[in-house]
Amino acid sequence: MKTTHLIIGAGPAGMAAIDTIREFGDTSPITLVSSETPYSRMVLPYFMDGTIPEQNVFTATDDYLRERNVEPILGRTVTSLDPGGKAVCDDGTEIEFDDALIATGSSASRPPIPGIDGESVFNLWTLDDARAVLAQKGGEIAVIGAGFIAFTCLDALIRLGARVTLVEVEDRILPRMIDEHGASLVRSFLESKGVSFRVGAQVSSIEDAGGRKEINFADGDVLEADVVITATGISPNLGLVDGSGIETDFGILVDDHMRTNAGNVFAAGDIAQGPVIGSDRKEVHAIQPTALEHGRIAGANMAGGDAAYWGSLLMNVVDVQKLQIASFGDWLGEGAEVRTVENDSRPVYRKLIFQGEVLTGAVFLGRPDDVALLNDMGMTKGLIQTGLHLGEWRKYLDRYPLDIRRPYVASKAAEKLLEMQLLNKPSIPRGYRQPDPDPKYWEYHDVFVSTITEGE
Amino acid sequence: MKQLVIHPERCTGCMQCELACSFVQTGTFQPSVSVIKVHVFDEQASMAPYTCFQCEEAWCMTACPVNAITIDNVIGAKVVLSEVCVGCKLCTIACPFGTIFYNPESNKAFKCNLCGGDPACAHACPTAAIEYEDSETKDWVGPWAERLNESFLTALAGEPS
Repeated sequence: MKTTHLIIGAGPAGMAAIDTIREFGDTSPITLVSSETPYSRMVLPYFMDGTIPEQNVFTATDDYLRERNVEPILGRTVTSLDPGGKAVCDDGTEIEFDDALIATGSSASRPPIPGIDGESVFNLWTLDDARAVLAQKGGEIAVIGAGFIAFTCLDALIRLGARVTLVEVEDRILPRMIDEHGASLVRSFLESKGVSFRVGAQVSSIEDAGGRKEINFADGDVLEADVVITATGISPNLGLVDGSGIETDFGILVDDHMRTNAGNVFAAGDIAQGPVIGSDRKEVHAIQPTALEHGRIAGANMAGGDAAYWGSLLMNVVDVQKLQIASFGDWLGEGAEVRTVENDSRPVYRKLIFQGEVLTGAVFLGRPDDVALLNDMGMTKGLIQTGLHLGEWRKYLDRYPLDIRRPYVASKAAEKLLEMQLLNKPSIPRGYRQPDPDPKYWEYHDVFVSTITEGE
Repeated sequence: MKQLVIHPERCTGCMQCELACSFVQTGTFQPSVSVIKVHVFDEQASMAPYTCFQCEEAWCMTACPVNAITIDNVIGAKVVLSEVCVGCKLCTIACPFGTIFYNPESNKAFKCNLCGGDPACAHACPTAAIEYEDSETKDWVGPWAERLNESFLTALAGEPS
């Protein structure tokens, strides 16, 4: 008998699960419930700054879903879930299922500040948020929160011509992405580019003032702006599992098969608190690569496979005014051995974090044209991901922290990595693409000059 | 499927692969945008080229939020579709081999695409340290580099930290 699958949420985790269920040859019916049309949140900054048209943020069309025998129920929210096999939507629609994936993601937190629900105060998390911010007039924007989420849209706001002030309650910026020293370098660089900062700033209220906004601080200071954006963190959308018996902590607890304690219910993406590379603790990693890996694992197992997850690795990369900021794994490195290196003449900084002979985290800061200082980020990720014991190469990296390549190659990291396959089979290109050009050799790069003469 | 087979013991460090790669891929002689990189092991007077394995997991392809990386059906290379790529750099931190990069000039990711089935690096290599032939994928340089560095590491172990 065919199993009926229910996918709740059409973000990267949900869509990856759908693609994977079909990739595994499972043709049983799938119902997709999502409050939004499927789109990629990660590319919203590129929609905002005009790099891509709005239509290119979408990750599926009706035809795409129909071809895959997926019945979409869009614009609806699942409000309750009975692991016995029934879900109920906000309009009362009941959906029966044999197994279900909860991939409802996360929402932007709204700090409890008087006036936060007033006009011209926005989150910047969803496509609707992005549209709403783009519709605003006025060039001065205050962003409350100076963490990774604020930084993902910061470049787009600057490119749109905004004068931006970042307001942070902690005493430094990017408190959950890079270390304090790296953050201070980022701040100096961005100040030189005209970005303003207020750190250690407690917002007490947001008020209207003659068509503009006034942000009042606890110390009595006032900041005026045309638009206020809040970016103070996210929280998993757990509402639908209330009373379902599904175990939660910060997110929904899942095992290495992405199963919740209810065996036929899976969870993936920002909502799932799952295995982590190099740690026994389960964590929510609200990042795209983890969402996709979760979704693929869940999809494979829903299709009757037996795919186990090796765990998520925290990693982030963001680019502001041509300064690239990236961090991996245990980037904070508390209680760990740390090697840092920097260049006083420009924003260049690298931090490697070790536990014994194992590289467990890293921070990279540099301009993308500082190629030699950034183009070993992937190898660094490979060393962290494999948890390779570096032996004497650990000592070598203390001396030469810029020469990751040599320890990487000579430790045979590639040999180990070539054996790592998430689904125990070669990956295939995933699903929907827009626009959908056929690969043409001369389009792979901006210029293609063949050195090969015909018939040679 | 044809692969770039690397014979590290044949490499002379002439860097012609890097020049040929950058020229064919971008029209400029610019080793910094070459997607094949020659590694230098000073103490052993040895060099070895290293590039994308076209690995089966395809970390770059599976991480991409806009599916801008696909597999060329003819040659099996994982290729970046420049028109689709938004330049988010996620692939550059997801690829654990460190073989996909970001070009700030074009604002796109770029990687080895096997030059559409006729790799310039293999053509340019004067000592056949890079060959393009039917083969399994494997870590061409790792085991060689491990043996090469044994005495270096032993010496390093004896030195004070």
